[in-house]
Amino acid sequence: MPSTPPQISPVEEQEKYLHDALGVVKAQAFHMKRALDKNKLMDALKNASAMLAELRTSLLSPKSYYELYMAITDELRHMELYLVDEFQKGRKVPDLYELVQYAGNIVPRLYLLITVGLVYIKTNTSLRRDLLKDLVEMCRGVQHPLRGLFLRNYLLQCTRNVLPDAPDTDVDCPEGTVKDSIDFVLMNFAEMNKLWVRMQHQGHSRDRHNREREREELRILVGTNLVRLSQLESVTLEKYQKSVLPGILEQVVSCRDAIAQEYLMECVIQVFPDEFHIQTLNPFLKSCAELEAGVNVKNIVISLIERLAAFSQRSDALGSEGVNILQEVQLFEVFSNQVSSIIANREYLPPEDMVALQVALVNLALKCYPDRIDYIDKVMLSSVEVLQRLGLEHLESHTPVAKELQKLLKIPLDNYNSLLMVLKLKHYAGLMQHLDYLGRKALSIYILNNALEHETIIPTAEESEQALTLLNTLVTDKNEHPIGELDMEELAEEQCLLARFIHQLRSNEPDDQYLILTSARKFCHQTITALVKAELAELPLRLFLQGALAIDQIGFENHETVAYEFMSQAFSLYEDEISDSKAQLAAITLIVGSLEQISCFSEENSDPLRTQCALAASKLLKKPDQCRGVATCSHLFWSGKSLASKGEETHDGKHVVECLKKGLRIAKQCMDTSVQVQLFVELLNHYIYFFEKGNDQVDVEILNQLIKKIGDELANLESSDEAEQISKHFSNTLAHLKLRMESPDGDRDVYRGIKLNPDGVVETEKEKVDA
Amino acid sequence: MMAESDTTVEATRRLNVKKQTLDDAYAAPANFLEIDVVNPVTTIGVGKKRFTDYEVKMRTNLPVFKVKESSVRRRYSDFEWLRNELERDSKIVVPPLPGKAWKRQLPFRGDDGIFEEDFIEDRRKGLEVFINKINDDYADVTVPVLEAMQHHSTTY
Repeated sequence: MPSTPPQISPVEEQEKYLHDALGVVKAQAFHMKRALDKNKLMDALKNASAMLAELRTSLLSPKSYYELYMAITDELRHMELYLVDEFQKGRKVPDLYELVQYAGNIVPRLYLLITVGLVYIKTNTSLRRDLLKDLVEMCRGVQHPLRGLFLRNYLLQCTRNVLPDAPDTDVDCPEGTVKDSIDFVLMNFAEMNKLWVRMQHQGHSRDRHNREREREELRILVGTNLVRLSQLESVTLEKYQKSVLPGILEQVVSCRDAIAQEYLMECVIQVFPDEFHIQTLNPFLKSCAELEAGVNVKNIVISLIERLAAFSQRSDALGSEGVNILQEVQLFEVFSNQVSSIIANREYLPPEDMVALQVALVNLALKCYPDRIDYIDKVMLSSVEVLQRLGLEHLESHTPVAKELQKLLKIPLDNYNSLLMVLKLKHYAGLMQHLDYLGRKALSIYILNNALEHETIIPTAEESEQALTLLNTLVTDKNEHPIGELDMEELAEEQCLLARFIHQLRSNEPDDQYLILTSARKFCHQTITALVKAELAELPLRLFLQGALAIDQIGFENHETVAYEFMSQAFSLYEDEISDSKAQLAAITLIVGSLEQISCFSEENSDPLRTQCALAASKLLKKPDQCRGVATCSHLFWSGKSLASKGEETHDGKHVVECLKKGLRIAKQCMDTSVQVQLFVELLNHYIYFFEKGNDQVDVEILNQLIKKIGDELANLESSDEAEQISKHFSNTLAHLKLRMESPDGDRDVYRGIKLNPDGVVETEKEKVDA
Repeated sequence: MMAESDTTVEATRRLNVKKQTLDDAYAAPANFLEIDVVNPVTTIGVGKKRFTDYEVKMRTNLPVFKVKESSVRRRYSDFEWLRNELERDSKIVVPPLPGKAWKRQLPFRGDDGIFEEDFIEDRRKGLEVFINKINDDYADVTVPVLEAMQHHSTTY
């Protein structure tokens, strides 16, 4: 029928109740001891009974009850010692065991019965088995959870040293064997667990929190039963497998109470030896799968894995054959299977716990089976399957499950410090895909750093391809990065890492090396494209040009096409992305400079490129820039090499002159006369250069005309610093010519006819002749 | 029964106890019945008159109750009705209700009369004590009392 919940009062009331009770105990204990001194056993029993009656209270919290219990049971020692002494002296009290059962209330009755029973056991071991059985069953009389727990605790503590520990025999043994002890303790454990779980249902539902806290305080009472079982020396592995563990697990699973289950499973792991655990993994883990939703199964399993991994490495971890236990127990396989089962069966297991279990498995494999890379791969595969089944893609970086996954993926790398080993894991790349963009990026960087730190060489094309695929988050841009500004510095750093890594891809076999580079080339292209997208212009431009130059050098099949492609890309970049006029000039100069060095192009490729350069130059924003640009282009037609010229300089004098003439025309269009003159001087220098190189299209006539023009214009310039500079430049140019003309070495004939001083003509021999 | 004595004494003979199944052992005891009177709310009712009612919550796992959980709102006059019914019909000594508070219903008070927060809280506690006392002391009327509470209301 409905009962009034026990009135547990607040702290001061508790203190008062306890204080009062302890007062009674003190008084009764005093009288009891005095009666014993006078050998008045009946009186002493009455006092003991009165003292024990305080344990009938409903007023005390578990903490206070415990204090009272300790005080009373301490005093009971005196009774016990007295009786043992009497019995040993031969003064056995007749029917004492019977006698104490007449005590009025059940709580004192049973405490006395246990005390007296202990005395009997100590003084006559042939009664042991039957007495123990009787006592553990009699305790059923107290069904109140708190009182019952302490009563049974008293039973357990009293019998601590008298439990039979002899191996079982076929002969009937009234002293008892280890089987009787196991039965005794298991029954006590079952009853205590029942009472402990029952506490959950006591009191008002709003007090649940308090109740659970109180239950936690009492858990050691239940756990002591398991400790006792572990202390029985005759409990062999077989006994543990057949009687002890099944008995415990039955109670743990059936009680369906999360608090009890979580505590007791951990307790089992702690109190019994690793030798037992390693041989009973299947039943234990199966039970784990059946525990209540509120139990943190992950922690239980992981603590067991770590324990047994450590244990298996010990030299004394031997199986029945005397060889290392790992030969007998397939530790990884067992755990792997059971963990899968647990994951499949537990509805409320959060995904981060599932991944944490995989982490534990990987660590187990690495510790105990370091050469079994297939085990690591199996864990990778299981993880992929788990995530797929849950439909989890793109795990957001800040979530617990993503963090666990990152941890998992780093472990093989940290352990082997070899990207090559990681590449052997077939399911690694697939697992990595479950991270989101940021996660994959972070991991890719981690991998790169590891590879660079340990100077890992990737020796084959296949592995190079695999590696670059693994790192594809850094390599290709799938527009995945989050909205917001792209951090340039970060990007540059990443690409640097990648670039350094590319150098790790190398083989001593040239064929392999070529294949590797083909993969790398693909990557280079992708990287540069990525940079372009990132709105960097100059850098990718340089890279394309450098790429083209490099490709030009390496004579692999088709390299012309590839180089052309790079040059085209460079041009597109120039046209699309570079808009600042200064930048344009610099860029076109770069392009021209690069093109000039490339020799692999055939005419049908080199012609359009050169023309494009000239065209681009002529379209520059500012006239002076145009002039200079076009002048620079002229060199393409002279010293640029191609297949047509068999790798030799082209020496296309005509096109050179065309460029320079265009340059002149542009210069004349300049508004500023001083700029004009400056440009003329520069152009003159270009002309002289080609003249000296033997361009037959540049003749003395052209030179003279230009020299005259410059002279004229210079005279008309207003005096200024600038004009002086230009004048100086011109003088230097003329001085150079003069030197050449008068030089004892070299071809004076070449310079014949040059009028250095247009107004005052210096006659040369030829002229004298003609005149 | 034990030791050297041959005689088996009736008084201390052991009972034959049937082994309990695991399900029974760990099942929640079917003795749980909680009644709470909570959440007083003052509202405007018919004829623009204010009144206060309370939530009467019941939770149980006793087999005799068909419905294991219920919640209704009842006011003081409903409790009065219940008390009158009990006094009339049964032979039990019905516990007292918290006071009617006539004085508080007079006009020209400085405070809010029967709608004062403290007063309502005291009344709430009193009503909870009342209903639980009936339940504790008179187990056999519990079911009819609670069912009456569920179905009868002077307001709704």
